[in-house]
Amino acid sequence: MNARLCTEDAVAAWLRALTPAQEVLFPERSPQDGAFRFEPVRPTSPISFAGYLPTQLPPAKVFAPARDPLFAFRPTPDGSFEVEPHLDTTARVIAGVRPCDLKAIHLMDGVNAEGQEDPHYFARRRAALLVSYACPTPCDERCFCASTGSLDHRQGADVVLTPVDGELLAEPLTDAGVALISTLDGHACDDPASLVQRHRDARPAPFGRQLDASPAAIGQALARTWDAQVWLKNAEACFTCGTCVVVCPTCYCFDTEDEASLSEPGSGTRYRSWDGCLLQDFAVVAGGHDFRKSLAGKHRHRVKRKFEYHNGRFPEDGAFCVGCGRCGAQCTAGIDIFHMANDVVAEEAK
Amino acid sequence: MSADLFLPRPARVLEARKFTARETYLRLALDAPLGHRPGQFVMVSLLGLGEAPISISSGPSDGNELEMVVRDAGSLTQVLCAKQAGDVIGLRGPFGSGFHLEQLYGRDVLFVCGGLGLVPLRSLILPVLAQRARFGRVVLISGCRTPADELYRDELDAWAARGDVEVIRLVDRTEHQPWSGQVGLVTAPIPNLGLNPDKLVAALCGPPVMYKFVVLALRGAGVGNHQIFVDLERRMRCGVGKCGHCQINDVTCCTQGPVFRLSDLADRPEAL
Repeated sequence: MNARLCTEDAVAAWLRALTPAQEVLFPERSPQDGAFRFEPVRPTSPISFAGYLPTQLPPAKVFAPARDPLFAFRPTPDGSFEVEPHLDTTARVIAGVRPCDLKAIHLMDGVNAEGQEDPHYFARRRAALLVSYACPTPCDERCFCASTGSLDHRQGADVVLTPVDGELLAEPLTDAGVALISTLDGHACDDPASLVQRHRDARPAPFGRQLDASPAAIGQALARTWDAQVWLKNAEACFTCGTCVVVCPTCYCFDTEDEASLSEPGSGTRYRSWDGCLLQDFAVVAGGHDFRKSLAGKHRHRVKRKFEYHNGRFPEDGAFCVGCGRCGAQCTAGIDIFHMANDVVAEEAK
Repeated sequence: MSADLFLPRPARVLEARKFTARETYLRLALDAPLGHRPGQFVMVSLLGLGEAPISISSGPSDGNELEMVVRDAGSLTQVLCAKQAGDVIGLRGPFGSGFHLEQLYGRDVLFVCGGLGLVPLRSLILPVLAQRARFGRVVLISGCRTPADELYRDELDAWAARGDVEVIRLVDRTEHQPWSGQVGLVTAPIPNLGLNPDKLVAALCGPPVMYKFVVLALRGAGVGNHQIFVDLERRMRCGVGKCGHCQINDVTCCTQGPVFRLSDLADRPEAL
């Protein structure tokens, strides 16, 4: 092992020094609206691990941005066309990734690898290194990561930073991680496992909000549930704004659209943009039939996707809700998937 | 990792023919064989306008040609229906499960097609008729709204004339047009067909409302859900299981469908 123990200042200096050779992203509070976002680290960027709130958007979205060019097209003289794929292979380090968001990236890796690999996602993903940060306390009052089983997630990280005894333990999990921390100032640590255990022992218990049942039991309750009151209740409150699916680290649905060039007729770019099952017309086909018309049905679909539907496809991975709390925190109507999951369990037990 | 997952390839229109006021038949030439199974679909691109899933209407083939019938139902299909011989469109695929012809060998085969449903099912009807001796009784029920809406009229005539296929053609109403077939819904003939439920396989494709009633009629004739294949329609944006639009409960229609064995949809209330 090449683990080392460092001061937070040393880690901050290390991250700043990794630029500009690569783009380094770290959560930064916006002076305008107070929200945290993953922003490119600059020489003057404040880098503080203590007390940064969940970012408005999860880091998984770096690999599938809101509007993603798939390919450019242009006409050819024979009346046909040619296409050129757009693949973003920018070298990036994403640092300060919380375990819930790391788990979500692991789940998105699985989704995008399933069947035929998504070239656009993996072009970015394979050019990125992840530096995760093990949370010592719940990040805010919405968090329920421990309850969904993502608090201790480490898979997919190149380097795991664990706060312990006022310092940061840096553990490389991959060869790329070993190379990455070669410039990190600190002293060697021979027994990182005991320090990680000390960090875990020092965490509050219970850690954050606790679901009324295990994710597996919620999935089983959902599988026995169809026309439940919980869907109707939340549909009445919902504005169908789609914020929940936009901010969710494991929502990945998209629509496609072409942008035609005005200066070069016949040329243009095909984009994909985020779409979500909560939005109107998501399941509408040509001719107007809506295969999931009711808002209650849309809520049911969303919650079942997070706790039930994907279990068969990714049986090792547990729930697709990682307990980050974003959807509940940012919902315009105050709907929280934490309460929906609990309500399903309670209603089903009646 | 292949960068071409979302890249359309050129397909040149060889023949464009108006079938009805709303539907246009297109025969296309590809740069290489498509190698599709019956019941599969392609994503058709009109670059600058977008992309839509379109059923393949031709039977499996080693050649480079492909047939489809497009209904003018939106901005993309409106332009597609106006394409002429020589025009080039974009195409990805083939996608989806499709039918496996060998699963039908030795069986009686019943096709139930409502409206545009004849178009994808023709990709299965053609190979069944090409290997007619491998199948038992073959019955085709094809229904549409009015006589003027009927698709593949010449082929329906030709299939009926073969003598080894029972072709039942229906319209909802004649609207005073000449019509030698029956008037009614596609469910109407099923109870009187004398189907042998032990030997039958049924393939269904039509508008969303059709499936439940045809399944009820088949159940009345003693046909089990494992003997019924449904070819379903959904909104699709990628064709490769990534975009999420076509999900039916926990399955993706584009990769695990659009052809499903009905018994596989038993616990999936969003399906029919």
